[in-house]
Amino acid sequence: MGKIFDWIDSRFGVKQPHKKFLERPVPEGVNYAFCLGGASFVFFLMLVCSGLMLSIYYVPSEQEAFMSIVRLNNDVTLGAFIRSFHKWSANLLIITIILHTIRVFIYKAYRPPRELNWIAGSLTLIIALGSGFTGYLLPWDQKAYWATEVGTSMASTVPFIGKYILYLIRGGEDVTGATLIRFYSMHILYFPTIMFLLLWAHFHMIKKQGVKGGL
Amino acid sequence: MVRRDFLKSTVKIFFLLISIISVSVFSIFTYPWKFKRKELTFFHATDEEALPIKGVRQVFIKHIRGNTQINSKAFIVNSGSELFALSPVCTHLGCLVNWYRPKNRFLCPCHGGQYDMNGKVVKGPPPADLNRMPIKIEDGKVYIGLRV
Ligand code: HEM
Ligand code: FES
Repeated sequence: MGKIFDWIDSRFGVKQPHKKFLERPVPEGVNYAFCLGGASFVFFLMLVCSGLMLSIYYVPSEQEAFMSIVRLNNDVTLGAFIRSFHKWSANLLIITIILHTIRVFIYKAYRPPRELNWIAGSLTLIIALGSGFTGYLLPWDQKAYWATEVGTSMASTVPFIGKYILYLIRGGEDVTGATLIRFYSMHILYFPTIMFLLLWAHFHMIKKQGVKGGL
Repeated sequence: MVRRDFLKSTVKIFFLLISIISVSVFSIFTYPWKFKRKELTFFHATDEEALPIKGVRQVFIKHIRGNTQINSKAFIVNSGSELFALSPVCTHLGCLVNWYRPKNRFLCPCHGGQYDMNGKVVKGPPPADLNRMPIKIEDGKVYIGLRV
């Protein structure tokens, strides 16, 4: 394995420019709470892997979505396992991101020069919540339908433009097949892509600014 | 240095294990097991005396899948010279066709596909004729084969 990696890296060259970063000393006063960001990233990777697997069987259409979930649960070997895997990782991701945010807040790591990274982090939290909301509709059962009906109707309470936001999210007056496709597209294309870009920015800034040590 | 080497190899073994497990789970998950296990089973559809001398009869095949009862539609056609069963699934995008007696045709409600009594496409977007289903008659009872 090491040999193969070295062969590739001697041409590709990612190891050399990162050597200083990988071998940097860890600042004073860090503890296990500093792992929460890394844990969130691992959950995100687990979501990407299990999500890509679910998408092999899931059919994003008004008529077939529910049946495809039933098929996943009953007929596909390990189907129920992969669904649970995706669900648990999604919930744990939200929990670890929130705990990570609290840790950053307590250690005052949002202070200059790290303000922009606090903003990038907040955006990842919003995108993660958005992924959870859009993913919840995908099984297309009664619970999913009504959760989305109620959740999206909140948008209409925004003053003046509420109705337009509602139509934009639902792709029409009601929650229909058009909403399902919108949510599906957001869930598996837009949000993961945005998430990857945000995380790249997040890690880039950590590399440049380093981790802020203990209090 | 011993501690560092120990940690390094622990991490390596951990990643190796995770990779092996992931690849196995992925292969088991994506492999179409059920598809292979599907076998042809014959279900009682109707009785021989209920068949038309010449014409089309719609039947429902009752069977159980998981814990739900399913009624699968099928057509038994007696063309006068031949008796066969036709699947109602339109070969275009899979809607269920209906037998329309006044025109002697199967009509698809979705995009206007039309088939004649033998299941041959006569109009519309379907790329192929209706599929035939296995049929057999034993002791005056008619059985139709389904893959379940
Ligand atoms: C590349 C990334 C992802 C892909 C390709 C993906 C794909 C999918 C698919 C196909 C489904 C429908 C299957 C099912 O309902 O079991 C689903 C459901 C779901 N996803 Fe994702 N997903 C991704 C990332 C995420 C993320 C980041 C979150 C949350 C933070 C998330 C939360 C959910 C939830 C809550 C469900 C509903 C689960 C259920 O009811 O079983 N997903 N996802
Ligand atoms: S599905 Fe029958 S014509 Fe399109």
